[in-house]
Amino acid sequence: MSLSLEKVEALAPDQSSLDAARKLLKAGIWPVVASDGSGLIWGECQGSGATPYRVVVSESDAGYKCTCPSRKFPCKHSLALMWIRVEGKQTFVAAPVPAWVSDWLSRRRGPGTDGAGDSKGEKPKASIAAASSLTPPEESDPKAEARAAAARERNRLEREESVLSGLDDLDIWISDQVDRGMAGFAAQATQVCRVIAQRMVDAKVSGLATRLESLPARLFSMPESARPAAALEELGLLHLIAQAYRRQDKLPAELKADLRRAIGWSITRDALLADTSAIRVRGAWRVVAAFSEVQPDRLRRLETWLWLEKPPEANPNAPRFAALIDFVPVATGAASGGYSPGDRLQAELVFYPSVMPLRAQILQSLSGAQASDTQLDLPEQSLDDAYQCYERALCVQPWLGVWPLSIRNARLRRHESQLFLCDAGEAGSAIALPLQPSQLSDASPLLTLAKLDAVGLWDGYRLNLCWAQTELGRWVNV
Amino acid sequence: MNARALRLQAYPALLVGTGRQPLGFRGDLAELAQQDATQATLTALSLTAQALRFERPQAPPNFAIEPVVQDHRTILADRMRRPLLRLLNKRRPADDLALALAWAFDRYKVRPHPFDLPKMDAFVRAHAEHLGALAQQWAQQRDDSPAQPQGYFMADEMDETTWTRGLPGLRARFIAERRRQDATAARALVEAAWAQENADMRVRLIAALETGLHADDQPFLESLGKDRAPRVRALAQKFLARLTGRRSEHPALAACLERIKRTTTGLLKKRVVLTLELPATVKEHETKVWIREAFAEVSLEELAHALQLTEPQLVEATEKDANLSLALALMAAQDRRFELLEKLARGQLSDAWEQLSQLGTFDLGTMTAEERSRLAEVLIAPYGGKPPSSYSAWSWLHRTLEGPAPAPLIEAVLRSPRWLTQLLEESKLGSEWMEILAALCPSSHRVRLRAMMASLDAALTLTAAPLLDILDSMEKVGQS
Repeated sequence: MSLSLEKVEALAPDQSSLDAARKLLKAGIWPVVASDGSGLIWGECQGSGATPYRVVVSESDAGYKCTCPSRKFPCKHSLALMWIRVEGKQTFVAAPVPAWVSDWLSRRRGPGTDGAGDSKGEKPKASIAAASSLTPPEESDPKAEARAAAARERNRLEREESVLSGLDDLDIWISDQVDRGMAGFAAQATQVCRVIAQRMVDAKVSGLATRLESLPARLFSMPESARPAAALEELGLLHLIAQAYRRQDKLPAELKADLRRAIGWSITRDALLADTSAIRVRGAWRVVAAFSEVQPDRLRRLETWLWLEKPPEANPNAPRFAALIDFVPVATGAASGGYSPGDRLQAELVFYPSVMPLRAQILQSLSGAQASDTQLDLPEQSLDDAYQCYERALCVQPWLGVWPLSIRNARLRRHESQLFLCDAGEAGSAIALPLQPSQLSDASPLLTLAKLDAVGLWDGYRLNLCWAQTELGRWVNV
Repeated sequence: MNARALRLQAYPALLVGTGRQPLGFRGDLAELAQQDATQATLTALSLTAQALRFERPQAPPNFAIEPVVQDHRTILADRMRRPLLRLLNKRRPADDLALALAWAFDRYKVRPHPFDLPKMDAFVRAHAEHLGALAQQWAQQRDDSPAQPQGYFMADEMDETTWTRGLPGLRARFIAERRRQDATAARALVEAAWAQENADMRVRLIAALETGLHADDQPFLESLGKDRAPRVRALAQKFLARLTGRRSEHPALAACLERIKRTTTGLLKKRVVLTLELPATVKEHETKVWIREAFAEVSLEELAHALQLTEPQLVEATEKDANLSLALALMAAQDRRFELLEKLARGQLSDAWEQLSQLGTFDLGTMTAEERSRLAEVLIAPYGGKPPSSYSAWSWLHRTLEGPAPAPLIEAVLRSPRWLTQLLEESKLGSEWMEILAALCPSSHRVRLRAMMASLDAALTLTAAPLLDILDSMEKVGQS
């Protein structure tokens, strides 16, 4: 069973939801709690109304659905059902999947659908297949399709024009900033970035709009002395992206895809799955980091970083890291993607086209996420080697953001109130990666250890240490 | 054009602003001059940015040398780490559950996993002296107080050479323990370190001298007559009075005597009767506080001597006065006069447990675990199979014992389902009740307590069940 109290806590939108869920743990208010024996549980919770609320939870990926009108996700009923399952004090009757659960499954998108359904072959298949089997195919109207395609193409062209116009304005804005100088940029960054970010939103350049909106916060998280150089780097990068976009037809397909994603063009899940050239990797993946961050556009960005335990023999050069990135509205209250560091899952991932493939989607989940204590078999790679990998990646994708590093034989050291990841060798190394200042407290117990193997995310300025394997066991950034 | 040229020529101008310091597209930057000025500037910006991105982060000139702390305790079992963190999450360090865990760490000589220290920072800071040397170092690193210890030792790891370098509470415990073994040697240690100690530490040390108080201590105690700290002077005077029998001026005793009215009763045999007259300004709900404040600094022996009674006579004389009986119970508990406390509890003060709990937690100084256990036994005995249903009484007992309660108490709870049912009916039963029962349960009764909890609603035992698991695990680790 992949559910745990930690996961329930992580999924809860706030403390009051947990408190409310706790009050629902009494057996008396759950006339029905049942399970299909392969990772799907459901129950009926007697609320204040005449009809009980129906709750279903997929244990493999902590997916949930409840019929209550709550605007919190997950609601207290879903949390309570998970909690009851973890506590194990109530017996979940083995029962065939009722129609309302099947209905939820058939409408559900995401990794849990295939995994739960395929394991026994009893449940409906993923949404497209289920939909096609349930509803008779509509007769196609060639004229209507042509009109729709023409409308889509017209919209695309309009957006292309709008983007190019926005990028011209961006260049003018950057020129103005360069004229004033980067030394004083940080002081007025909040004001000036907001204006140009709004212009980028209007021009449908959402990728750059988000970068610009979050730039002041990023600058202020750095030491004052580092801000001018960081501002210069970011503005230089924005111009580089703008210039590259104007010449995108001359770029290789993967780099062009990277560029268009940086601008804000998105690829739908269906389009990604339909792309036969996209890299697919099947294997055992370990969750090495899970983050949640609220963006300036009021969307919560949920990031889950995965490590491939063993590359498939057919594809030894398959990417070892993958990033699952989801966006949910902040208003839903969901604060976690459902995975915790240390979880292990068997899955097939499909990577977004890129020169340095990192971002991926779960194409097929072959097993639910299970907590695992086993260590990662990290490759023999010193800090210097790992940094060279980053530099190589930067060469082929100049606007590279966060890059995962796996390092063997490192150690943590302290200089004043700043932690650094260094080589563990006696001579040390010329290179020392500063850790995020927010990790000073959590990571300081690692200072006493002479050696550790680590996984971290490097953003060009700070290392976000996510995972460390030490003689005292595993350390994870939670 | 290369990165160096961009760093040397373009970077300074981009920083100060090209409006103030125009980019001169000469030398290595000459090839940019083919573009128009604005475009060339933007290209220079992009190229400089990329050049900066390829600059490697340099190691600082030196790194701090981290202190090496030897902690010989066994680390808490891995499978108990998450339950522990969950229990301590959003808990106040002064909660009974947190206290039970801290005392259990000390009792079983177990320490938290080093990686968990930041995640339970408040708990570690509050209870560092119970959690091992590494936890002490963690707490001290984050403490801004100027008096930093030079080493991190637990009381049982200290010796005559290192005892001055530990935490204040542990140092006092060390001296009290040494007093039990060799009172003269322990006093000599205190005398040698006395001049360097601050007032708070001096009070703790002189309080520790109460253990094994002996005539040989008299010269040292007399030398404290001019100590700068009034509490040190008061304690020294109290101990001197006890040693010499001389009753020098004792303001607290005088204040108590002013409030005690003495009469006699009986026709054939005259008996002394004592009653306590509370000040008119003390309202009913303030009575307990007043009693505690008035009598905490007075010993039973001093009061009996002042009233020209023996101590048993004193107990008999207060038979009709509940407030004075409570005051005597307080003094008997503090003075470790358990036979007198037992007499009170079997007689006029059968609810001494609840009454004393209303006085609040009082300082039992260096009382040993055995003495605390004896104290609890005396207070529990009159209740038989009907323990009190006031949570504050149970919490007080827990804080007094700093560990499990005597087995008969938990036996009474386990054998009395009516007691629990009654609590349930009165809606008094919350999860904190199960926590305090788990905290007070001796290891021999944990299996039965678990069985009893299994019949209760899950919401009531959510925290108590993992607490029992952790205590079991610690005990197992401690025994191995």
